[in-house]
Amino acid sequence: MALVPLRYNLRNLAVRWPTTLLTVLVVAIVVACTCVLFGLVDGLEHSNAISGDPQTLVVLGKRADNETSSYFDVDKAQTIATLDGIATGPPRTDAQAAAGWPDVEGRPLAAGEIVHIPIMTRTDGSRVNLTIRGVDAASPYLRPDFQIVAGRYLRPGTRECILSPGMSRRFTGAQLGSELVVTDKETYRVVGLFTAGGSVAESEVWTGRDDVAAATNRTGSVSSMRIRAASPDAAVALIDTLSNDNRFVLKPIRESKYYADQNLTALFLTFLGSLIAVLLTIGALFAAANTMFAAVKSRTREIGTLRALGFSRPAILFSFLLEAILITTLGGLLGALLSLIASRWSFGISDFNTFTERMIQIRIGLVPLAVAIAMTLAMGIFGGLFPAIRAVRLDVIKALREL
Amino acid sequence: MGRPPAIILRQVSKEYRRDQIRIPVLSRLDLTVAEGEFLALMGPSGSGKTTLLNLIAGLDRPTSGEIIVHDLDLTRLSDSQISRWRSDHVGFIFQTYNLIPVLRADENVELPLLLTKLSRRERRQRARTALRIVGLEGREDHYPRQLSGGQEQRVAIARAIVTDPYLLVADEPTGDLDRQSAEEILNLMEQLNREFEKTIVMVTHDPNAAKRATRILHLDKGQLVDDVTRAEPSPPKVAESAASGDPPYVADLDTARRQEARL
Repeated sequence: MALVPLRYNLRNLAVRWPTTLLTVLVVAIVVACTCVLFGLVDGLEHSNAISGDPQTLVVLGKRADNETSSYFDVDKAQTIATLDGIATGPPRTDAQAAAGWPDVEGRPLAAGEIVHIPIMTRTDGSRVNLTIRGVDAASPYLRPDFQIVAGRYLRPGTRECILSPGMSRRFTGAQLGSELVVTDKETYRVVGLFTAGGSVAESEVWTGRDDVAAATNRTGSVSSMRIRAASPDAAVALIDTLSNDNRFVLKPIRESKYYADQNLTALFLTFLGSLIAVLLTIGALFAAANTMFAAVKSRTREIGTLRALGFSRPAILFSFLLEAILITTLGGLLGALLSLIASRWSFGISDFNTFTERMIQIRIGLVPLAVAIAMTLAMGIFGGLFPAIRAVRLDVIKALREL
Repeated sequence: MGRPPAIILRQVSKEYRRDQIRIPVLSRLDLTVAEGEFLALMGPSGSGKTTLLNLIAGLDRPTSGEIIVHDLDLTRLSDSQISRWRSDHVGFIFQTYNLIPVLRADENVELPLLLTKLSRRERRQRARTALRIVGLEGREDHYPRQLSGGQEQRVAIARAIVTDPYLLVADEPTGDLDRQSAEEILNLMEQLNREFEKTIVMVTHDPNAAKRATRILHLDKGQLVDDVTRAEPSPPKVAESAASGDPPYVADLDTARRQEARL
């Protein structure tokens, strides 16, 4: 099949550049919005995925499903730390020592922690549940890639706290050196900022366990315990002991499973994202179709001429379809670029499991890009198809007389 | 006449349907056009002359009857076969030129060659030759909007002849042109007819344009009412066009022909 030359389409796009530009922008915005949304889902799932280490166990009270509703005696926590099969702490590096990390070398990697969720005010004035975690000495060693990026690590018992840079920006009084006021009686001074590889910890405020216990009258109990098994076999043995041994009767869950079960939020966002993507795509599809209908209308005589010269109906169909796909592809590329720029920011969203604030870094990975490509093609093909069919169905003789 | 027939129409009728009403346009028309004839179709609006032209050019199909062009019965061809036949053997010249505005003169001329198997180089060369034949050498890279009406129509004629078709059809080719440009276009068509022996069928309202044809047909209400063949074609107007500052076509045609023979 002899095709209408591509430069015919390219130059037509260039000649009516204001229309082309507007349509490209519409497509770009739609693609960017959807990419960001799916990037958020990806970021959330990634955060949950890297937060969970299969060899780390989260130990909850017997009837609890998550840390917020869990508690057990601190004595039990201390006994757990003496069990066999728990990994021991690595030597502290000079940098860690300089940043004030606790020294747990040779001691079991087990941390009894208290989770406390007060309502806090964001910098924008809105109120949200905030996770405050009272931590143990081994806590930072039990998070992926934990690093102090500003200030220093907290000193337990002195009402100091540390949090992530993203949280620091979003909450009133959470800036380095300022006082984070939870209630009149519960305040913490921010002494450091930390990152933890994008994991859930970055959405929490960390302070000493005893500080939280004192402020909330919870001395003598912990919400949960994290322990790192020395080996996969040891993890199995520890799960058995903690579940069945009469001294404990607790609920040990592999950390990876614990966070995977919390993916409800990701599921909700995926659903929301898909819905919005479909609706926006349909909207943008009409924009593309409108542009192409106008193009076909204004080029009726040209189409008649091409047909008279001997270009076939499929060639005309392909030409106009290609033009639509060219527009939406330009828009798609621009949209993807915009979303890549947006991915440099992190967003605070509400977690639907614990109703607490979660800091999420948008990740424009394969899924958002695949969605963008699919949307772009859908907009081009379906937006271009009907105008192209109209172009093809034109009667040559009538088209030639069109002015 | 002596020459073999290029176009034979036998009992050709054409009617259109608007809702339930039948509108007859041509009724039981018989016509034979010899190879190398320059035929002018005249008649009042609605007489069926453009419909006849479209039927001969394979753009439209008759309601009944046979249309045979160079021994090929057009009524028996499928849509794609007739498309193919048009691109190979018919050159179109329209009243409104119908150039593609976003393509340069040489790209417009090259357009029909995209339907052939010629290489890019050959296509370019042929387009240039055709533009030289119509006296537009040096205007290859002009867009239609940068050309005058007469020049646009010459580009359109170059596009019509670039595939070396045996039939040229022209629908009011001078209808949108001023007197001088019209004369130049008619000179050119006359020369294409005489020098390149193209069979030309031209619809026109203009008696001056019709005078250039070798045969004039008058239609009225779908019937042939008059058929005049001129004994002596008028002499070529080379001197006249050269005097008006135009390139001498005849000299160019010879070079062009030699070049085309080599292609």
